[in-house]
Amino acid sequence: MANDLVVAPMLVVLASIVAMLALRPRPRAQRVASVAGSLAYAVAVGAVAWLIVLSPDAPGAATYQLGGWAAPFGITFVVDALSAFMLTIAAVVGLAAVVFSVVFVDRANQGVFYHLLFHCLLLGVTGAFLTGDLFNLFVWFEVMLMASYVLVAFYGGPQHTAAGFRYLVLNVVGSVLLLLAVGGLYATTGTLNMADMSRRLADPAAYGIDPAPVVGLGALAFATFSLKAGLVPFQFWVPGAYRSAPLPVAATLAGVTKKVGMYAIVRVYFTVFAGATVGISVPGAAGASPLAFLAPALLVMGSASILVGGLGAIACDTLDEMLAYSSIGQVGFIAVPVAIAAAAPPGSLRRLGLVAALVYALHHALAKSLLFFATAAIRSATGTHRLSDLGGLASRAPVLAGCFFVGSLSLVGIPPLTGFFGKFLVFEAAARQFTASSGLAGGAVIAVVLVGAVLTILYTTRAWTRSFWGRRTPAVEGATVRRSQVAVLVGLAALIVCLGIGFDPVFEFATAAAEAALDREGYVELVGPAGGDGA
Amino acid sequence: MSVALATVVGGLFALGTFLLLRRDLVRVVWGVSVLSQAANVYLISMGGVQPGTHDTVPVLDAHGGAVPETTDPLVQALVLTAIVISFGTTAFALVLTYRAYQENETMDVQEWR
Repeated sequence: MANDLVVAPMLVVLASIVAMLALRPRPRAQRVASVAGSLAYAVAVGAVAWLIVLSPDAPGAATYQLGGWAAPFGITFVVDALSAFMLTIAAVVGLAAVVFSVVFVDRANQGVFYHLLFHCLLLGVTGAFLTGDLFNLFVWFEVMLMASYVLVAFYGGPQHTAAGFRYLVLNVVGSVLLLLAVGGLYATTGTLNMADMSRRLADPAAYGIDPAPVVGLGALAFATFSLKAGLVPFQFWVPGAYRSAPLPVAATLAGVTKKVGMYAIVRVYFTVFAGATVGISVPGAAGASPLAFLAPALLVMGSASILVGGLGAIACDTLDEMLAYSSIGQVGFIAVPVAIAAAAPPGSLRRLGLVAALVYALHHALAKSLLFFATAAIRSATGTHRLSDLGGLASRAPVLAGCFFVGSLSLVGIPPLTGFFGKFLVFEAAARQFTASSGLAGGAVIAVVLVGAVLTILYTTRAWTRSFWGRRTPAVEGATVRRSQVAVLVGLAALIVCLGIGFDPVFEFATAAAEAALDREGYVELVGPAGGDGA
Repeated sequence: MSVALATVVGGLFALGTFLLLRRDLVRVVWGVSVLSQAANVYLISMGGVQPGTHDTVPVLDAHGGAVPETTDPLVQALVLTAIVISFGTTAFALVLTYRAYQENETMDVQEWR
């Protein structure tokens, strides 16, 4: 029963895609079906999370062997706490984005495959979170990317086409790198199944393999994953793509698609590569596992992202560009605790790092989509999202302003919002690493995270004072705020407040997810790849 | 055989990268598809090109003839998937190229408005 439930979210999305195609001649029915489809997706993910992971008598994890082919020969879908946690983020943001799209994107554009593409994007994301096979992960990436290429170029103006083309070329190069990594890992370990690979890498002598190439091949995959996550130095596509995509899609790209990159880093490095014993001794990285390579690389990239994103966001003169830069910085806040976890010895600090990253990922998905939706509502009310054309919105549209305020405060990290716990855990991880190593690097991490937090306060304050306070501009004076849009915003803002107040279950879910990511042996045992001993 | 394959893969990657950096949009699309093909050749070679005996290949076992070099069927399945994906991506890239040409009346990336 639990095993069959694993594919439920995927079947729901596939059914929605078929419904979107079938209902093309009836735009109204298509919109209703799209909302119903994303609601059903959220229910399916909720059922998966509750029945497989969270409920007291749940098995904790389950697998589904596609076509009945046993691992490692078939493709395995795995739901453990980590997958369930990420799926939950996708379901919440996806549902909110579909509902908001219905009331925001104009009707003619919605008829042009908009909902179809959105569900395809969701399909790719679901597959990437579920799969336990490295090549299959590549395929789901491509499904996700195919939909997002079209969505980035959706409006079809010159700048949209240009942004779509740049996004496409960059991601094709990324995909080629990932293919090189997958092919090389297959040649090295003789398997594509993640659990089987993990098992073989942990005991290379028994399987007659040499794990040394894994570090370099893993680095290729890592480059692709960080391109997806938009970490510095692969961040340059982010502002263009986010500004050109329809705003609800930008919210999904920032809230969910970026997290797929971070998820893949965590899954591949912590669940698959962590068991390998490979001596690494290059300047800046020394250790006996591929994690010793990941830690300094990700730490530098994450810290640079925090600074680049924060500084970029301060200089922007439109709201959507500011949010795009801000999401570069916020992904840095997710990357830094992952790097701390990679540097730490197995134990509580490593777990804390991953918990911090996961909680931050959830917080960022919620807060950033709320802010993107608020920007969209501002644009459809006033016709602009240039900071210089806005002003005095707080008195003109108090509820909208309240929602933007909640999102900004959560991004800054004010209790009791979810953002507070995200920042708190990141700081705790950084502080504990500092006390554990007390080197220069530990101090630098704390400094960067602090500067990043200050930069967040600066750019959110700037956006707030420029667009919500001050004298009303003509655009604001003639604004007509759509209640249906504000209703979605209020829902998301309430969710951020509620999750912040009742944070304990979220923390426990995130802790279970982090433990699932670190429980390499449990993952291997769960999938149960057979054969290959001594072969 | 391995040296030949390595040379081909290296050559394709060099060519793809060169084309990708051109100003002409169509050349960039060519670069994208050459790079994808380079990855496919690489994937095929990862299966290990090993001499097979003719009783391991059913069609030869039944029909006799010269013994070919056989290879891993899994990588061929992977490459088929990758080819289909890169086909779709290239088609979409060409559509975007045409759209960009319609809007800017030039194929030169640096003259984009």
